[in-house]
Amino acid sequence: MSCVRHCLPMLLISSFFAMSQPLAAQDMPLTQVLIDGEDWQSVSKGHRFTDGLTTDAEGNLYFADVAAGTTINRIGLDGKLTAVADDAPRISGMHFGPDGRIYACQGGSFGRIVAFDLKAGKMDVIAENVKPNDLVVTADGHIYFTETAKMQVSHIPPGGNVQAADVASKTDGPQRPNGIALTPDQGTLAVSDYGGRHTWVWRVAKDGSLDLRQSYITLRTPSPDFPSKGDGMTTDAVGRYYVTSAVGLQMFDPTGRMGGVIAAPTNKPIVSVTFAGPGHQYLYVAAGDEIFRRKTKASGVEAIRSERK
Amino acid sequence: MKPLIPLLALFLGGLFLPELATADYPLTADSKPQSGVPKGIVSQHRWEESQSYPGTVRDYWIYVPAQYDASKPACLMVFQDGRGYVNEKGHSRVPTVFDNLIHKKEMPVTIGVFINPGTIPAVRPGGKSRSNRSFEYDSLGSRYATFLIDEFLPAVTKDLNLVDDPQARGIVGISSSGICAFTAAWERPDYFSKVISYIGSFTNIRGGHVYPALIRKTESKPIRVFLQDGENDLDNLHGHWPLANRQMAAALKFAKYDYRFEMGDGGHSGQHGGALLPEMLRWLWRDYPGVNQGTVNQGTVNQGTVK
Repeated sequence: MSCVRHCLPMLLISSFFAMSQPLAAQDMPLTQVLIDGEDWQSVSKGHRFTDGLTTDAEGNLYFADVAAGTTINRIGLDGKLTAVADDAPRISGMHFGPDGRIYACQGGSFGRIVAFDLKAGKMDVIAENVKPNDLVVTADGHIYFTETAKMQVSHIPPGGNVQAADVASKTDGPQRPNGIALTPDQGTLAVSDYGGRHTWVWRVAKDGSLDLRQSYITLRTPSPDFPSKGDGMTTDAVGRYYVTSAVGLQMFDPTGRMGGVIAAPTNKPIVSVTFAGPGHQYLYVAAGDEIFRRKTKASGVEAIRSERK
Repeated sequence: MKPLIPLLALFLGGLFLPELATADYPLTADSKPQSGVPKGIVSQHRWEESQSYPGTVRDYWIYVPAQYDASKPACLMVFQDGRGYVNEKGHSRVPTVFDNLIHKKEMPVTIGVFINPGTIPAVRPGGKSRSNRSFEYDSLGSRYATFLIDEFLPAVTKDLNLVDDPQARGIVGISSSGICAFTAAWERPDYFSKVISYIGSFTNIRGGHVYPALIRKTESKPIRVFLQDGENDLDNLHGHWPLANRQMAAALKFAKYDYRFEMGDGGHSGQHGGALLPEMLRWLWRDYPGVNQGTVNQGTVNQGTVK
């Protein structure tokens, strides 16, 4: 009987709202991510051109100085900066693999994909004769990386050789594929286009191959005849996409609709982004000689991966 | 819906009433089955291939009125977000409305096609299907119209005898599919001449807020448009729906379109549009050959007011 008094109103309320708002889309404004009063904070400076931001299960931040550095650097949860790998020049993109190694794009005259085992202090060459820019590694060990000049997204299956997963043409696909990220379910791969207006997505097949390329996400550009300069990418735990660009850090909801543009910390271009820090709740960006972070209401896609472990 | 409001007031002391005190828009007899009116047949199907949207799958339904005679070409109306329109308990109950209006000759014998937006099924274990709705509906340009006109409609209506004339074809949608319906006719007025938009998203989801400006600076197209919106429709990051629809109506008026705009006080729902649907259809088809003349209540065009 008491349920009539207590449950019925709740049922009525919930059904009323369900009926009155049947089409209200799950809109994702910036207010779902940004926190009032929390601005960008500088966390490391004095570098030349920072890039390759990534994180581990704990939330430590890793980055490289692609122009002048020879180390992989870590900013721990205690805020301390340490070099965790030596002899690592020209690193432009990094991502942890399921084996705990950092997989990295090594550009310039190296032209290879390498993997650093930080505990053993050892580096292995995974693939040579490539021109990698940025990469991502799936939970089951597939490596995807962008080869910007070749207009190509490349794929290394676990234990396999490099293959072209997709190559754009002059009229279709990313003209300068750059940043790369996976949705939380790892069923969709997204690649930004430094030379175009869209961030492109593919479906990830069972064997790791990519199909169904689509211009799913359209970026804001500084003017109609200017490209997005889409660069570093990351995703968060609910599937939002973040893309660094000429106009700031652009956020998109899981259906590809823009949620908003987060201002860059300085006038220097931002080229890499990841969630890291406690709970993976801080957005980190590489802005030239400096790394910034900002607390958010969101948590990075790494947060759910570390929960699964 | 009506009985809930007193109950809510009873239980909550009217706490939520100010926000929810919008007019009720009940369905009229035209939206309910009437005795002596023959019922058309609705069939459900699945579309699993697309050149325009590779990899997408979607459900669709075809309504064939009882009055359809394969020896006489019929008209065609295409409903986006089709599941909501074809649903016999939904906001619009289109098959019943068509039954009634065709029976009274207030609209011509018309085939209804109801199509859902596409999804891309996941193939990776644990993967989630990806919705293609926003990409298909909110994007400007001709891709969706091309999908409908060049691949989907010819295939699903291949066994039906249809009039090959834009005057015989309408396109309908709600929210994002409302702007989608307008976009399809805007891009291909040689194919669609009649548009209905419920609570249309003429906002900046993917750039659709520019239509009022485009309409004003484009030679008028032969499109007849019925827009519906409500004062309590969405105001969010993409835009302000009531203002956007007023801008649309003002632009259509400026460019001398044959249009109607009904601004109610509902929210982002199909209730008002559904209640208006019989009137919308009478207005759109009012001068089509064979349709009873003089059944349209022109009434006053409710333009609403800018707050």
